Amino acid sequence: MENLAQIAMESVNFQAIMPSLVLCCFGMVLLLVSVFLERGRTAPICWLSIIGLVVTGIISINGWNDPQAGFAGGVVLDNFATFFNLTCLIAAGLTILMSDSYLHREGYPVAEYYPLILFTTAGAMWMASGTDLMTIFLGLEVLSVSLYVLAGFFRGQLRSNEAGLKYFFLGAFSTGFMLYGVALLYGVTGTTKVAGIAEAIRLMPDASSNPMIIAGAILLSIGFLFKIGAAPFHMWTPDVYQGAPTPITAFMSAGPKAAAFAAFMRVTYISLDSLQVDMSAMFWVLAVLTMTIGNFVAIAQKDVKRMLAFSSISHAGYALVGMVAWNEVGFSGILFYMLVYTFMNIGAFAVLVLIGKQGEDNLTLDGMAGLGYKRPFLGVAMAIFLFSLMGLPPTAGFTGKFFIFAGALKAGYVWLAILGVLNSAVSLYYYLRVMVYMYFRDPVEDFSWVKMEMATIVSILIAIAGVLYLGVLPGPVMELAKLSIF
Amino acid sequence: MTPDVATPFPLLSLLLWLPLGGTLLCLLLRHSSNLCRWISLLTTLTVLVVALGMAVSSIGGSGWLFYEDAAWIEPFGIRYTLGMDGISLLLVLLTALLQVAAILISWRQKQRPALFYALVLVMETGIIGVFLSLDLILFYLFWELMLIPMFFLIGVWGHENRVYAAVKFFFFTLAGSLFLLLAIIWLYLLHGGQTGDYSFALDALRQTVLTPGQEMILYIGFMLAFIVKVPLFPFHTWLPDAHTEAPPAGSVDLAGLLLKTGVYGMIRFAFPLFPAAAQKSLPFLAILALVGIFYAAWIAYVQTDMKRVIAYSSVAHLGFVILGLAAWNQLAWEGSLLLMINHGITTGGLFVMIAMIQDRSGTRELGKLGGLWTVFPNLSAFFLLFCLSSLGLPGLANFAGEILVLLGAFKADPLWGGMAVAGVVFSAAYMLRVVQSALWGESKKLARNDDLAVREWLILVPLAALVVLLGVYPAPVLEFLREPVSLLLETGGMP
Amino acid sequence: MEAMLFYLVALVSVISAFFVTKCRNPINSALCLVTTFLCLAVFYVMLQAPFMAAIQIMVYAGAIMVLIIFVIMLLNIGSVGKSRYTHGVAGAIVLSFLSFIVAAKFIAGGTVSKAVGDISAEVVQSYGHTELIGKAMFTEFLLPFEIASILLLVAIVGAVILSKRKV
Repeated sequence: MENLAQIAMESVNFQAIMPSLVLCCFGMVLLLVSVFLERGRTAPICWLSIIGLVVTGIISINGWNDPQAGFAGGVVLDNFATFFNLTCLIAAGLTILMSDSYLHREGYPVAEYYPLILFTTAGAMWMASGTDLMTIFLGLEVLSVSLYVLAGFFRGQLRSNEAGLKYFFLGAFSTGFMLYGVALLYGVTGTTKVAGIAEAIRLMPDASSNPMIIAGAILLSIGFLFKIGAAPFHMWTPDVYQGAPTPITAFMSAGPKAAAFAAFMRVTYISLDSLQVDMSAMFWVLAVLTMTIGNFVAIAQKDVKRMLAFSSISHAGYALVGMVAWNEVGFSGILFYMLVYTFMNIGAFAVLVLIGKQGEDNLTLDGMAGLGYKRPFLGVAMAIFLFSLMGLPPTAGFTGKFFIFAGALKAGYVWLAILGVLNSAVSLYYYLRVMVYMYFRDPVEDFSWVKMEMATIVSILIAIAGVLYLGVLPGPVMELAKLSIF
Repeated sequence: MTPDVATPFPLLSLLLWLPLGGTLLCLLLRHSSNLCRWISLLTTLTVLVVALGMAVSSIGGSGWLFYEDAAWIEPFGIRYTLGMDGISLLLVLLTALLQVAAILISWRQKQRPALFYALVLVMETGIIGVFLSLDLILFYLFWELMLIPMFFLIGVWGHENRVYAAVKFFFFTLAGSLFLLLAIIWLYLLHGGQTGDYSFALDALRQTVLTPGQEMILYIGFMLAFIVKVPLFPFHTWLPDAHTEAPPAGSVDLAGLLLKTGVYGMIRFAFPLFPAAAQKSLPFLAILALVGIFYAAWIAYVQTDMKRVIAYSSVAHLGFVILGLAAWNQLAWEGSLLLMINHGITTGGLFVMIAMIQDRSGTRELGKLGGLWTVFPNLSAFFLLFCLSSLGLPGLANFAGEILVLLGAFKADPLWGGMAVAGVVFSAAYMLRVVQSALWGESKKLARNDDLAVREWLILVPLAALVVLLGVYPAPVLEFLREPVSLLLETGGMP
Repeated sequence: MEAMLFYLVALVSVISAFFVTKCRNPINSALCLVTTFLCLAVFYVMLQAPFMAAIQIMVYAGAIMVLIIFVIMLLNIGSVGKSRYTHGVAGAIVLSFLSFIVAAKFIAGGTVSKAVGDISAEVVQSYGHTELIGKAMFTEFLLPFEIASILLLVAIVGAVILSKRKV
């Protein structure tokens, strides 16, 4: 007892939390700086937050191949975490780039927006690197609370209010489930460490029929599945995605989703390894359900933002296919797919950010008519992103799906792969429809309100570069994804 | 697989990426439509010249005439492997030729010319890529790459019902090819699991040991994609719509080239990879082909839109091609491939001419046409020539291929041969109906009454010359086909 | 005896939780919530966690409830007409009874009473509960503890942004 301080310091390893630490510091400094800026002046904060992300990115990359554990095994910065960290950083960076002009247009130039995104990203990092259910849970909470606020950021807009409130209520509910799951697992194993749980379960003779373990695993999964937006816990997605500010929607669909996948994978793959057969079966059903529901409901949508929201459900389904596979190819496929999805989906939303009018009521299919001719650059960019979302070569969407389905087939899930492919075929319909409106319809409006904001264009260009690079030369990054599996 | 010819200069890559370079130039210089036009013409001409040069230099060669191989996506063992044998060489030549015609026929493209030419050139890269790839993923990449420009060509520059046709085309072909993708991945994993060597190379995958069940499933996965593209009855319904609604250049590309990629996929990939399953499927293919021949001929006969007639005639002709493949002997295969090339030239020519006629008369409806011969003697003469070739008049291109197919079919099964002969008669019926109602009879009101312009002569003369030449003396072409075909038939293999 | 007490307190907590959603007068709801919190505190005592029990009463039943009542009084909501959340009430009843049954099943089956992990009743007796918590918080769970501070910061910032009268 007397050497408590010593014990505490021994387990502290700042290396293991360096990226999130730096990000939090930046967030706090930015909060302070914003106090001294005049109201409505957000550009400096925007650029400082970009710098923060870049610095964090460099630190993360430096930690590659140098796994660091710390805080009594509560957190580990391995390649797996680094890969997801970078994915989230990219998502945050692209989001912030497109945000500043958007916030001004919509009339909410509030500087706190940027620190909140940084905190969200830090939360995502704790989820990706947490090896203790407590760390993961608190990371999830930091991420969620920031997102609740960001989703309801436009206080004057009813839709945004609805998004924030809905996300908050359902999110809190799902968090309750997750915490209950954690408690049950702790009750039965006596530890919250991911590896410790695995060991305790392995030593139990009848683990797969122990009601507490099963209940714990299911409840824990519900929490993650909610964040991922997998069916049947997807109900919040469309309303929240549609109501939230567009850059936040883009961010939510990529960064936090990737983080939830990261934590989910770590927990299932390590802790619940003994339950593989049952978990895989559960994921099989969920993956099929998620892909199908997302796709079929997306078909009926007239609003492009809402359509992308539903399609993001189906993309979560594709990624879940990798969880079903439960092998190296499938898991690294998820890593790769989340990165790919980050580029293509955020890119598509960035285009929407530019062509939206204030209030964004014009983001319907009809509103896209003739976009390809009036704004050739945006048209081509959107076309590239849509082709990627469809999964056509030579875009990243193809290589990503290829990776995932290869994992499923390798594990022998032929039917699952076939259903996934059929779903891809269904998804063609609604993505193509946007294309049809953009190119095959004569322009109704002249899109004169579209201002080609430099920062947003940069973010679109980065996304295009990412989509094409990962589509044409995916080799190196695929290699990294394979090295990232614990 | 060792390349017989070490190419110091990557000619295949040049052939493949040259059109894409033209695309980029077109997009960069999109404000000057004149410049774009010339760029695209020069690009296609250069490709044609390079391809001709390669053909001349490889006369009498054997094995892979040209071959390239480089690492691409290492973690999955995907390689950038291109190879050209006699079959690919001829198809690439056909592609290069028809693309020049496609550019020339759309010379006066008013609506968004830069984008139009750019897409035509992208398509050329896609089609040439399909004919050259020897790595299955690379093949799939080009297979899909063909789709995107065609979708836009139909959807943006097509006729009245274009959106429907474009979406239908995209759906049918993509849905088919997704199964191809699955089958490719599964085959790759089976092969990798057996040998530990994870590779998408065609040659390596042929060594995979498969149970009959697996082989059949994989074969069906491959064939679905190819059959839709060919298209074989009953997967042909996208074709009449797409052909009819596409702009002239699109129709030429569709009929002349895209359909051929399906057949090429069968002989290059599906049959060699799964020989046993292929053997079992031959009767079914033959039946579908025969049904297609009669069905398409019947439907073609009642069409009133000239483009639709030609579109259905394509289904019928491709039926002959597939029948030849199903006969599975040297004679029939050579005939099939020859017919494929000749059909490309003939039908390409027909679509070009329909565009010219529509330009002058303002309609494609047979009922509203008539008496063209008296007003446009030159144009009508060419049209008659192509029509006669299409119906299989001896001495013209299509006949040479059809007769070989028929002989081969008789050899395989006299019943098939006999039925197919009847199909030839049918094709005469619908083509002569077109000739009769368009060229003869009473003259109708016309928009213009000038006969062929210089540009149009330039398109038609080479095509017509080829139609006659290949009809009278197809030996040089058959020379290129002999060795690859016998290799494919005997060992299911390649050089 | 212990089981009897547990069931009694559990029943009270579930019923009062139900009335939190059922009552139309917000003040009554708040008071029902206090009852629930108090019952939870009893559970902590029964689990040999006196420190948690004290914290539960001080923080939740004390500070937070005072705040809630304060807000209710300030906003002067009064009684809302008809309750709009009938679905929610039904769901709450079902859920709370389900969880009650699950918990009861575990206790009856004795699964939970099997001690797992390092912290057994003897350890708690010898060290003292408060000390154990302090130790855990500053060694094993140092990082989550610190993350919680960020969480609070985010929550505060968010609350300010969403409720400030003018941005």
